[in-house]
This record gives sequence, C-alpha cells and structure tokens, in this order.
Amino acid sequence: MKTARRVAGKLAGLLLTLFLASLLVFFSRFVVPGDPISFLLRGRKPSPEAVAEITAQYGLDLPPWQQYINWLLGLLQGDFGRSLQYRQDVSVVIGERLPVTLTLVAMAGLIIAVVGLISGAIAALNHGKPLDRSILIFLTVLGAIPSFVGSIVLIAVFAVQLGWFPTFGSGEGFWDRIYHLILPSIALGIVFIVLVGKVTRSAMVEQLGREHVEVATSRGIASGTVLRRHVLRNALMPILTVSGVLVAGLMVASTIVEAAFGLAGIGSLLVQSVDRLDFPVVQAIVLLVVTAFVVMNAIVDILEPWVDPRSAAGAGAR
Amino acid sequence: MNSSRTSRVVALGATALLTVGLAACTPAADDGGGGGGDDSKSLQWELTTKTDAPSGDIDSFSFALYAEPYSLDYAYAFDYPDNQVLANVCESLLLLNPDFTLTPGLAESFEQPDDMTWVYNLREGVTFHDGTPLTAADAVASMSRHINPEVGSSWFSAYQNVASIEQTGDLQVTVHMTTPDSQFNLGMGGSAGVIESAATLAAAGADYGNSTGGVNCTGPFSLSEWKSGESITLTRYDDYWNKDKAAKSGEVKFVFMSDSNARVNALKSGDVDGSWMLPIEAVDQLRASGKGDVLFGPGTAVSQLVISNLDGPLGDVRVRKALMLALDREGVLQAAARGVGEVTDVHTTKSVWGMASDADRKAAFEDITHYDQNLEEAKKLIAEAGVEGEEITFVTAPIGNDFAVISQAAAAAAQSIGLKMKIESVSPGAYTALFSDPSAREGVDMFYTVWYLSSPDALEMYSVLRTGDFSNYGNWSNPEFDETVNKAVTTMDPAERGALTAKAQQIANAELPWLPLYEGPISLFMGERITGVQPSMMFLYFPWAAQLGAR
Repeated sequence: MKTARRVAGKLAGLLLTLFLASLLVFFSRFVVPGDPISFLLRGRKPSPEAVAEITAQYGLDLPPWQQYINWLLGLLQGDFGRSLQYRQDVSVVIGERLPVTLTLVAMAGLIIAVVGLISGAIAALNHGKPLDRSILIFLTVLGAIPSFVGSIVLIAVFAVQLGWFPTFGSGEGFWDRIYHLILPSIALGIVFIVLVGKVTRSAMVEQLGREHVEVATSRGIASGTVLRRHVLRNALMPILTVSGVLVAGLMVASTIVEAAFGLAGIGSLLVQSVDRLDFPVVQAIVLLVVTAFVVMNAIVDILEPWVDPRSAAGAGAR
Repeated sequence: MNSSRTSRVVALGATALLTVGLAACTPAADDGGGGGGDDSKSLQWELTTKTDAPSGDIDSFSFALYAEPYSLDYAYAFDYPDNQVLANVCESLLLLNPDFTLTPGLAESFEQPDDMTWVYNLREGVTFHDGTPLTAADAVASMSRHINPEVGSSWFSAYQNVASIEQTGDLQVTVHMTTPDSQFNLGMGGSAGVIESAATLAAAGADYGNSTGGVNCTGPFSLSEWKSGESITLTRYDDYWNKDKAAKSGEVKFVFMSDSNARVNALKSGDVDGSWMLPIEAVDQLRASGKGDVLFGPGTAVSQLVISNLDGPLGDVRVRKALMLALDREGVLQAAARGVGEVTDVHTTKSVWGMASDADRKAAFEDITHYDQNLEEAKKLIAEAGVEGEEITFVTAPIGNDFAVISQAAAAAAQSIGLKMKIESVSPGAYTALFSDPSAREGVDMFYTVWYLSSPDALEMYSVLRTGDFSNYGNWSNPEFDETVNKAVTTMDPAERGALTAKAQQIANAELPWLPLYEGPISLFMGERITGVQPSMMFLYFPWAAQLGAR
C-alpha cells in the first residue's frame, strides 16, 4: 500500500515536471530572435501569397497559446508536428536517428560502467596504496579529455593512421553498427568514467570502513561474499544516482561526438535544427532528453527502497 | 515583399549560397584541422575544365556532402547539397553544361513565336525511372507547381512573369508571359525547368521529394535510398534516353558530413572518393595524402560586401569608393582563401558572359574603374564627403575563416581612412536572416557574402540590384541602371542583351551598391579510383556524377 502510494506520488511528480518542461520548451522558441519562415526562405524570393500559405501550413499564423495547445494535443497522439527543414513528420525525422544515439549512449554507458566500476572497486580495495593513487590520477586524466579532443585523437590514430576503424558513418546491420560505434562510444564515454570511478571508490571505501563489514569479516565470512552482500549492495545507491545524471550528460555530449564521426543521431540533428530554426524538431528532441532524464531519476527514486532498505525505513520514520 | 511584383527578375538563383550549412562550404571553412604547413602561403592552383576519360565503368563510388539536402523536390532544391544530388537524378527542359552553355535537354527544341510566348517541344522516347513515358502533361504539372502558392517554390522568381502554362500537343508545352522576359528561358536549364512525373507528384503529395517520398525523374541515375541524416544512394537508370551521357557507375553514394574535419579525414583515408567545395585549409593535407587530386573548376561566385544601409555614411558613393580603395583586397584573398581566386572590381565572373560579344565583354571587364589600394585617394574622398569619425556597423557570423578575415580587413580599412567600424558577430541563423528579413537588417550597414549565379547570363546578378528588388538589400536606386537592366531583360537577342548588361556592369562598378572583393573557383577532390568529371560550378545543374568512371 505504502509502496503503491509512493510510486503514484512519484509518477504524479513526473507528469507535473514534464508538463512544466513542455511549457518551457515550447514558449522558449518565442524568445529566440528570427522568424522560422523568413529563415526557411534562405534569401529566396518568394511570392507573397506563398509566404502566407506556408505560414498557415505550419500553423505559425495562430497565436502562441493556440500553437501550444495544438502542439500538446498532437504530442498526446504521438504527432510531433512537421519539420520545417525536412518537410517531413518530426516523428519520422527523429525516429530514423534515435536508434543510432541510443546505441551510442548504451555502448558508452557500458564502457563507463565496466571501466568505472572496476577501476573504482580496485582503487577502493587498495585504499591509500600506490595503486589507488595511480587509478585516481588515471581517472582524473581521462576526465580532463573533452569529447571533441578524444574524437579527433581517436580518428587520427585508429581510423586515419592505422585504418582499423571507419572514419565516419553508423554502419548497417547490428554488428556493423557496433563496429562503427566503437570509437565514438569511447570518445563519448571517456569523460564520464572518472565520475563513476570516483563515486564507486568513495562509496565502497565508506562501506568497507563500516562496522557491519568489519564484523562480517571478523566472523570469517568469505571476503567475496562480504563484498557482494554488504559492500557492493550498499554502495550501489550513490552509483545509481549518478547514472541518472549520466544519461542526460551522455545525450547532450553525444552532439559533439556525432558531429565528429558523421553519425546520424539526434545529437547532430539537434545542433543542425537549432541552427536552422527548425523549432518543431528542437522542441521534440529537448522534450525527449528532458523526459529521459526525468524518467531515469524517477526510476532511481522508485528503486531506492529495494536497493537500500534503510532509505525506505528512514523515509517512513520521518 | 511587393518587390517581386514590380521587378522583373528571373532566376535570382543563388543568393542562398550564403546560408546555412555554409559553415563547411565556403572556400575557407574554419577549424580545418590545421596540420598542413604554412597557412599564409599561397596555394598552387590552376583551372581544370576536364579530367581524363574513364577507362571503363565502375561499380560504385561515394561523395561527401557538407550537409544533408533539405529536399530533393526540385521546387525547394536551392542549395549546394540539394542541387548537386538532384542534378544527377532529375532533368530540366534545357541543359546547363559545364562550360556554361545552354543546350537542349528534355525539350528537344524551343521556339519563341513572339516575345510573350515560349514553346517547348519535348523529346520522344524519354521515360521516368518508374518506366512511364514523359508527356506534356508531366511538364505542365511540374512547371505549374512553381506558381502555386501552396507549394511556395524557391524558384518562383523564374516564373514571376508567367501568365499561364498549357499543353499544346502530346509533347508540346506553351508558356505565356505577362511581359517579355529573356531570363525565363535561361532559367529552364536549372531546377526551375525540372520535369517530374505528374502521377508521382499527385501520389506523393506533401512527402514528395523528402526522404520517405522520394522522386521519380528521367536522369541518368534514380534515387534508390535516402537514409535520413546519413546518406543518399543513386542507382544507374538502365533505360536512360541519352546513351552518350549514360552513367558510368552502377551506383553513387552521397554521405552527409557536416564536420569539415570528418570530411577531410574520410577523403584522406580513402573512405570517400570525392567531394565538392573543400575547406581551403585542408588542401595541403589532401594533396599530401596521395589519395586523389584537388581540382579547381570555373565558378560564378564573387565574394562581396553587401551594403545594406544607404541612410548612413555609406549612402555617399565617395565613402563606398573610399572603403574600396582602402581595402587590401590582395591581402584579403591571401588570408581568406590562400590566394585561390582573383581580385575583381565587378560583381560577375567572365564565365557567365559566354553569350556576349568580345567587345561587350571587354567593356564590362576593362572599361571600368579599377580600385587598386590607394589610401591617399581614399582619405581625400572621405574628407570630401565629410564623414570622418562616423561609425559603420558590420555584421558577421562565426561561419568560416573567410568571414573572420574579411570582417577584420573591412574594419582595418575603415579605420585607416578615419571611419569607425563596429563588428557585430551574430549566430549563423541570424546571419542567414539578413538575406530574407528586412527587420534583421535594421542598423546593419554591411555584411559579407559569396554570391553565385545559377544562370549562364550575367544579367541575373544585375537584375537583383534594381530598385525595389527583394535582394537589393541596401535599397540602392539608380534610374539609368534600372532602365538598362529592364531593357536587357526584355531583349531576347543575346548579343544585344550583352551590350546592355555590360553597361549595367559599368554603372554598378562606378556606383558600388556592393563592394566586390574577389572571385573564386569551385574546388573538388577526385579520388584515385575515379575520373571523367568536368569541374565546374554547373555541377549544381549538370549530371556530373554520370561522367565519373574507373580511372
């Protein structure tokens, strides 16, 4: 019962956040200077009738609030409007590019999780020793490499010089896509490894120093079991919390990586669409990223009591 | 907006070069990846109009585009990426050749029974890519879209003097004009003259020409796949009517690479076989890569400073001349384009003067004022005009190295003659709006652009500088000029028109409604596997990819 009410509360909060985000996303476009129609003309000489006709076709002749209502009603039916630059449904334009970005983010996420968790764990188990310090320095160095620098170096070395990987494109079919996305996902993930690595390390160090772990160890329970049951499980929460931030960060950072590797993802689409005042596409992508971020955080919130029973108890007591 | 009704221009084409994706395209895109040698050194270059004929057919090759086409609908194809792909898929009534001549295309012949009527006789035995035959009904449906406000065609200006388009035979189309217009027919070699299947237009509706709707034309290649955001693949059309111009490649794949480093890397590594419009900084690296040739073909583009406000100091022709005399244009060419190009005092290139007589061409390019750098003279003019210390606003955008170089050079020139110049940097989007939105030009005295023509007639340039024209950004007005250009537009005889156009060029050269800086060629990288292309600005309208075969 309590759980159900909690989840329902979270969901209501989520919907409210999304609603507010939709207002912000939609009306921010009216603050941006420039008229999408005159931009679309790109210096061409139209007939005045045509300008009026196109304005009406895109519903841009309506008052803003009415445009918002139409947009929102469309969204609820899965209709994101029509892209001005591609003269195509936004859902088609985004739908064709989303798989690339999702695969890229997933692969980068995997790299971050594996390298970050392992290096963080090793550092924690060697707390205070030279290995711990080396790992910390290594992670800090990785974290200081911006995605665009990573991209340039990776392409120059592994694609142009050595020729091991393609210089651009997202490939066709499953394996080819994975192959094409290896360098981009490394370039994308590299900055974030430090985040997961450091959080993992400090969370585990904290847990390792706790009484119950020391007690468990002194009772002679196998160290693997202690690590699994007591240390990792309790250290998981901060790591999960960080991953919520990570998802949004990855999606945003993917714009740079996608451009560098010539990938047709929603990141590069966003940059292009902003530049070309293609508002329907910009609004849809921003809303998508916001939704991913909000949903991710809600999931973490909802999972919290299962991962860490103490937080549920704490919440109940308050 | 009312300008389009009063003016009689046609085929303003181009203007949009300026725009958008530009980023990576103008002769000097930014970033460039540096690397290759001394950036201030002039590049070795020469014009190439022909490359070795192919030794045979090739299965496929790939080309990089700096941006994805907006649309392959000929009514909206108005920029480099759109037109260079479309030119290989869709054909026009007339054909614009790489040497800037206009020859029969889908229309086997055309007649002009009187000044107000154009009659096009379509070729027999031409089929669309779906196998259906070309008829006059297709031509009427295709051409009528340009005057349909619901379509909002980008090529409307070519049709602005059209009264009606009708079918006058199974293979004959007659166009009636509201006023004599020599430029209408010249426009039929570009996208304004493309003929698409009427049935396809009706069936595809609003999705016609986008990545799901596609196109169905008569060209040497058919559109087989458009992977949105990534690539467009064309396949050879085996039933193409013109055996001489049939494609020598089974397939062409255009990949979209907006990042200029990514594009250069793909060319250097041989992953992509070619690309038009290279970032000038990358030329050394590309040459050093040994993966192909960097070529330069004749263009129609002139880099110029658009004067967008004649109410300020620049309203005085002496100030415009002074600024021109103060500019180190050789230095600008060097710094912005590494010397690839030529300083010019006029607004057009010789390439679009093919129809004029030698005498007219000489008048247009030699009997003019030459603005060699002369600070003394410039200062004298400024003193005469009495504008010392006044301020000019120059708007630029972070689009390419040339934008940065030229805005700085203009500021330096202004300062050297006692004017103040404020450089305002705006976003590429806001910069683009300068070309279509008068309110965006408020408070802006000048801006830089690379203006190209898409018709083989220099008159296209001067028609946009008439009083009231949409693209006459500074509202410059000169009755003698207007009269000369208007007369030229209604003059059907090319030689007679040439003489009038030469006069228009002389007036513009003396009055400087815009300040011409330099003209530049169109660049091309042709990979080691392919050959046969004729490098030329007309790659926007001529099926150039069909010429490329195995080296």
